[in-house]
Amino acid sequence: MEYVNPLTGFRVDGRRPNEMRQLKGEVGVVSRADGSALFEMGNTRVIAAVYGPREIQNRSQQQNNKEALVRCEYRMAEFSTGDRRRKPKGDRRSTEISLVIRQTMEASILTHLMPHSQIDIFVQVLQADGGTRSACINAATLALADAGIPMRDIVTSCSAGYLCSTPLLDLNYIEDSAGGADVTVGILAKMDKVTLLQMDAKLPMDTFETVMDLATEGCKAIATYIREVLLENTKQLECQRG
Amino acid sequence: MVGLSEGEKHFICGGIAQDLRADGRTRLQFRALTVETGIIPQANGSARVRMGATEVIASVKAELGKPTILHPDKGKVSIYVDCSPTAAPMFEGRGSEELSAELSVALQRCLLGGKSGAGAAIDLSSLIVVEGKACWDLYIDGLVVSSDGNLLDALAAAIKVALSDTGIPKVNVSLNAEMDGEPEVDISDEEFLQFDTSGVPVIITLTKVGKHYIVDATSEEESQMSSAVSVSVNSHGQICGLTKRGGAGLDPSVIFDMISVAKNVSQRFYTLLESEIAAAEAAADE
Amino acid sequence: MRDLHLPLNQTQRVRLEAALHELQTLAPAAASAAAVTVADNIAVNHEDNILKGHGTTDQDGEVVATLCGVVERVNKLVYVRTLRARYKPEVGDIIVGRVIEIAPKRWRLEINFSQDAVLMLSSMNLPDGIQRRRTAVDELNMRSIFEENDVVCAEVRGFQHDGSLHLQARSQKYGKLQRGQLLTVPAYLVKRRKLHFHHLEQYDVDLILGCNGFIWVGEHVVVREIADLKEDEQKLSAEAETFTPIETRRHICRLANAVRVLSALGFTLTVELIIQTAEASISSNVEINDMLGAEFYVQTAEREAKRRGDLLGKKR
Repeated sequence: MEYVNPLTGFRVDGRRPNEMRQLKGEVGVVSRADGSALFEMGNTRVIAAVYGPREIQNRSQQQNNKEALVRCEYRMAEFSTGDRRRKPKGDRRSTEISLVIRQTMEASILTHLMPHSQIDIFVQVLQADGGTRSACINAATLALADAGIPMRDIVTSCSAGYLCSTPLLDLNYIEDSAGGADVTVGILAKMDKVTLLQMDAKLPMDTFETVMDLATEGCKAIATYIREVLLENTKQLECQRG
Repeated sequence: MVGLSEGEKHFICGGIAQDLRADGRTRLQFRALTVETGIIPQANGSARVRMGATEVIASVKAELGKPTILHPDKGKVSIYVDCSPTAAPMFEGRGSEELSAELSVALQRCLLGGKSGAGAAIDLSSLIVVEGKACWDLYIDGLVVSSDGNLLDALAAAIKVALSDTGIPKVNVSLNAEMDGEPEVDISDEEFLQFDTSGVPVIITLTKVGKHYIVDATSEEESQMSSAVSVSVNSHGQICGLTKRGGAGLDPSVIFDMISVAKNVSQRFYTLLESEIAAAEAAADE
Repeated sequence: MRDLHLPLNQTQRVRLEAALHELQTLAPAAASAAAVTVADNIAVNHEDNILKGHGTTDQDGEVVATLCGVVERVNKLVYVRTLRARYKPEVGDIIVGRVIEIAPKRWRLEINFSQDAVLMLSSMNLPDGIQRRRTAVDELNMRSIFEENDVVCAEVRGFQHDGSLHLQARSQKYGKLQRGQLLTVPAYLVKRRKLHFHHLEQYDVDLILGCNGFIWVGEHVVVREIADLKEDEQKLSAEAETFTPIETRRHICRLANAVRVLSALGFTLTVELIIQTAEASISSNVEINDMLGAEFYVQTAEREAKRRGDLLGKKR
C-alpha cells in the first residue's frame, strides 16, 4: 500500500510528511478533580485527571518520606478502538503505558517539594487513532499544570515513523500498523532533554536520527501549543478573579 | 466514599423532609441537564450527558455477526459500563468492577427485555440482515467520566440519546452467492438507516431518604439513602424494568406509590430530554 | 475558556462572552502581562540580589517558573502566585477541615493541603474550659469532642520539625460545625482577610470562609457559656427530630448557591459579593434552584462586570 502518494507527496489522510494532526487542548474538564485536561491529536482523544497532592492513602506504597509518590493509571474505553475487543483490565499493554507515563511525568514533577504526599494521574482514552501514548503524556502535562503541581519543565511527546522511504510525523493508526518503525519521543521542552524514547521495528542509524529529530520537532511544536493553552487559561482565571 | 458528619447528615435529611434540598431543589426536581451527540466519531452513534457534576458517555457500535441458533430471526445487543478512574480515585484498578457490573446489569434488565428479547427497547428483529445467517450486533458501551450521583439515570439517558444518533449502514445482500452457505453482504458507506428509538425507555431512580423519596440524588444524598427503586418507563408510560437497591425493606404499598410517582416524573423527564436532544442536534448542524 | 457546561442558548452565550470580555478589559494590564506558565523565564535584574521564592527555580542562571500563575515582586523577593492549586497554609489562617482519623492524642484533618493536618488534643480547649494537663481520661474521651467526618473550624498553628502541619483551636469560636453544608471551592478564590467568620444576622446564618477553600454555610450557633454546654447536649438529643427552620434553610441554600455560581465563574469570594448575589436573586425573583441555571450565571457575570466597571470609574 502507498502510504505516501509518490506524485503529490501527501499521506493517506491528506497531510504532508512533516505535518502534525490538528491539536486541541482544554483544561478543567472533570469538575471534581484537582486538575484535568482533554487532549486531542486528530482523532485520538484522551482525558487526564489529577488528584492530589494529598496524604498518602496506602502507607505501604510510600518509598521514602522526602518525595511525593506519583501514581498513574492508563485505561482505554471499550469504544475507543475501531474494532471492539474486550480486554481484561490491567492487561500488559496498559500496565506498560501506565509505567511509561508515570516515569515520564515523575522526571518533571518537583517531587521533593511535596513530601508525605501522593499524586494520582488517571488517563482515559476516549478514542484511539495512533499515538495514544503521546496524547496521554501531553494530556497529563496539562492536567498537572492545571492542578498547580510544580514542574521543572513542560513534558511533551510526539511520535514519528518511516514509511515509503519518507520520515512521517505523528502517525495515525493506519500508518502505525503499517509495519514501519514507530519512534515515540518525550522531551522536557525547554531544557531540551529526552525523557522518553521508544522504537519498534528497525531503522538504519542515520535514518533513525532524522526520524527522531522530526519527532523532537513535533514535541516542541506541541510544547508551544500547550503553553499557549496554559497561559490563556492563567490570564483568564486572573482576570475573572478580579 | 463521601463522609458526612452527623450535623450534615441531619441537614440533608431535614432538607428532604422539608422539600428543600441542599442546592435548592424540591424532591422531584432534576439538576440542569446538558446533552451532546456525535462525540465519538468512530462509533455509529454516541452521546454525552451531564447532570450537575455527573458526566457519562455512551457509544453504540454496530458489527456484522451471526444470529444465535435459538433466535435466528433476531440481532444481538450487549451493554457494558465502565467507571473511569478520572471520576474518582476509588475507581482505579479493580475498584470500579463492582459498581460497573451493577450498572451494566441494571441497564441490561431495563433495556434488553429478558432472555428472549421480547419487549426490548430496540426491536431486535429489525437488526436482522439475512435470517439465520447475518445480523447486526449492537455494542452499547457506557463510560462514567465524572461521578456525582444518579449514574444509572444518566447512563440510560445517554444510551437513549446515543441510539437516536445511531445510523446503521444500509446493507445489500447478493442472493446468488448464498448457495455456498455464506451470504455476501455489501455494506454501504453512504446510506444509513436510523433507528426507531421511540420505544427506548428512560430510567427514573427514586432514592428514599427518611420518610420521603427524591429524584436525581447527588452522591451526598445517595450516601444517606435507605433504599432506592429504579423504574424504567417508556414514552407510553409502560414500565419496562425495575430494580430495587439498598438494604432497608420497603412496604409494598410504598413501592407501588414510588412506581406511580416515577411514571409521572418520567413524562417530565421525556420532555426535558427531547428538548435537549433537539438543542444538541441543532448545535451539531451549525 | 474553561467550559462551564451550561445549557446556554445563543443570546445567553453572546451575553456571557461579552461580560467575560468586559472583565478582561477591566483587569489591570499588568496582571495579564505578569502571567506565566511552567518553564517560562522570569525577567529579573541579576544585580539586585533577588531572592527566588515559591514557584521559581534556577536553570542555567535564569529564573524559571515551575507553576502557572502570576509573578509577584515584593522588594527583592520574586515568586509565582498560583491560581488553581491546593491550599498553601500560612500561620494564623482560619481553615475549615474534616476529621479523617483519630490517632493517639491527635486528630487528623483533611484541609485540601498536600497532606493531612494535625490537631493535637493539647492545642485545643477542653469542653470544661479549664486550663490543665490532659489526662488519660481526656484521651479516651476524644471521640466525644470530634468524631470521624466531623467538620471542624480551626487555625493554622505552624509546621513542626517533621514537616507536618499543626492546627490549634484555643477559642470558643473554633470547634465543630453542626447544621449546614460544606462547599469546596478553589483555595485561590478566598482572600486572607481580618474576618473569616460571618454571622449574617438578617438571615440567622453563619458563613465561614476557610482560607483553604472550604466554605461553611450553616445555621447560626450562639457561642454559649461553658456551663450551658452539657445541658445543651441533652437538648440536642431530645431535639434530634427538629430540623432547621424552613426560613433559615432557604437562606442557607440561597447563599450556598450564590457561592457555587461565583466560584464556577471564578470570582473572588467575599462576604459582600456573596450577599449581593443572594440578594440579587431575591430581588429578581429567581427561585433558589434556578440560581444554578444558565440565565442566572449570565446575569451574575454581567452584574460583576458592571460592578468592577463602576469601581474603576470611581477611582478615576
